[in-house]
Amino acid sequence: MRSKFRYVLLIPALFFTLAPVYWMLTISLKSEVDQFATPPPWFGFTPVFNHYYDAFVTRGFGQYLLTSAIVSVTSTICALVIGTLAAYALTRFELPWRLNRHLSLWILSTRMFPAIVTAVPLFLMMRDLRLLNTRASLIIVYTAFNLPFVVWMMRGFFADLPRDLEEAALVDGDSRLGALVRVVLPLVTPGLAATAVFCLIISWNEFLFALVLTQTDAAMTLPVGIAGRVTQYEIKWGVMSAAASVALVPILVFALALQKYLVRGLSLGAVKG
Amino acid sequence: MGIEFRNVSKHFGGASVVDDLSLEIRDGEFVVLLGPSGCGKTTTLRMLAGLETVSTGDIFIDSERVNDVPTQHRDLAMVFQSYALYPHMTIAENIGYPLRVRKFDKSQRVERINRVAAMLEIESLLERKPRQLSGGERQRVALARAIVREPRAYLMDEPLSNLDARLRVQMRGELKRLQHQLGTTTIYVTHDQAEAMTLASRVAVMRKGRLQQFDTPMNIYNHPANRFVAEFVGSPSMNFIEGERVTIGIRPEHIQVFSEPRDGAIAASVYVTELMGNETFVFLSVGANRLIARAAADFRAEVESKVWLQLAKDKMHYFDPKSGKALSADYTDQFKKSVESVDALLRHSDRLR
Repeated sequence: MRSKFRYVLLIPALFFTLAPVYWMLTISLKSEVDQFATPPPWFGFTPVFNHYYDAFVTRGFGQYLLTSAIVSVTSTICALVIGTLAAYALTRFELPWRLNRHLSLWILSTRMFPAIVTAVPLFLMMRDLRLLNTRASLIIVYTAFNLPFVVWMMRGFFADLPRDLEEAALVDGDSRLGALVRVVLPLVTPGLAATAVFCLIISWNEFLFALVLTQTDAAMTLPVGIAGRVTQYEIKWGVMSAAASVALVPILVFALALQKYLVRGLSLGAVKG
Repeated sequence: MGIEFRNVSKHFGGASVVDDLSLEIRDGEFVVLLGPSGCGKTTTLRMLAGLETVSTGDIFIDSERVNDVPTQHRDLAMVFQSYALYPHMTIAENIGYPLRVRKFDKSQRVERINRVAAMLEIESLLERKPRQLSGGERQRVALARAIVREPRAYLMDEPLSNLDARLRVQMRGELKRLQHQLGTTTIYVTHDQAEAMTLASRVAVMRKGRLQQFDTPMNIYNHPANRFVAEFVGSPSMNFIEGERVTIGIRPEHIQVFSEPRDGAIAASVYVTELMGNETFVFLSVGANRLIARAAADFRAEVESKVWLQLAKDKMHYFDPKSGKALSADYTDQFKKSVESVDALLRHSDRLR
């Protein structure tokens, strides 16, 4: 009885999260006639694959996918490296004038204003740096936007880790950096994994800056590419859904691969050995 | 490897944790820093390890000033109260860690790990992870990690405090033997006076950041420098009889208890007795004073029954009632001659210690 009740509780949440995905998948597999039929054929339609062919063979969605992958993976790695070091410094070294606290808040505050506020300044900066329409511009911006998140997540994980372990490593003759790499980081792997997944999702799905900073096919990411199929004359629902369905796969695979860490990583403080 | 603290102080914010500490530790010595919690003993050890900065003063290892030498270059080994074993490494990896960061090659590492594992009888645990070990086993691994290389000194921060009583006594003995075998300078922090007495070649008693006395266990016990040391060392604690001009201290074993009256003995009543098996602690009331005496195992007395005490006059300690400092021999000699005054003090003193 109780177990059945548990599933009843899950139904609304599952409906809200999975219904759009189901809709997207079915649209990507429906012929255009079926897409607009009323009532919509929920299951009994003949699947067609021409939208996928259209997206990835005829049009350049493969290129967008590659750009998205390069940009999000690189920016995630950059944000993790820089942010983890910063978080470690903030939790382990005592800075003067209570800077540990002030700096942390200041870093967090960069996420408090709407992103659009920075769009114009960033556009001008990238133009002057001749980085418009490059992957580098997106990598820089995504790294900057993910950093506060990484710092705050990792700060929590480091704070929970007993200092004795690093001190033991130092006494044993290791350097600060060595202790960080050999002792501290292996112990916060769940936290790193959870943080990485979030950064990757945010970069992968980012639309605003990709739209502002890139206009060429060579530098365009998948979200911008998909949105580009909304044209003055028609909306290519099939192609857009096909591309979006493919876009879902890498994140899903990544999250599933890190699932065992995610559960531990998201419950802060669970890293204690 | 000699270690010297020269006028070392440590402040955290406005609070002084260690205050003008000077201490010279000779090569091969086993020195115990003893004191109640918050006395600065752990901070002292951490300053030596380089885990805390020194506010003022200097620390020397082998006559080299190490104030600004980072921890990893001080060539010391430390055993932490929490053991601080690396949870993600096997026991062999834990023990081998100091060798790994010093770039010992693999065969040398394995050989050394096996040697210390054999010495501490933990060969069978080498492939396990720390969480699969009992407290006593973890303790041995922490020790193994410390001795696997030959550091200039061992620092131990209450290494036995997380063990149960039986294991603690056993490990205490093993530690002593190990230090004897290795002959390496060891600095050991504890609040347990029994550990200090049994392990140390010299004991540094600390209180509120200040060194109270630094001497051999026997001298600390027999000639305490002040009332704090006298009270802190020895179990049960020394008895104190308060007077106007002097405070008299006498250890429980120097009070003899008789069931029959005898010459020169002081009448007292039994408050309670505690049978320890090998001896009996007799809690006594004399006037308003409470005394503890150590009696033979077969000593029996009813609560509130009358007994007679003989205090060993030559074993008494005399302290200044104001400063708590032990009084000079001249003064005590003078005082000892007026024997009646001790008895009078005891009989008529209405002050509880």
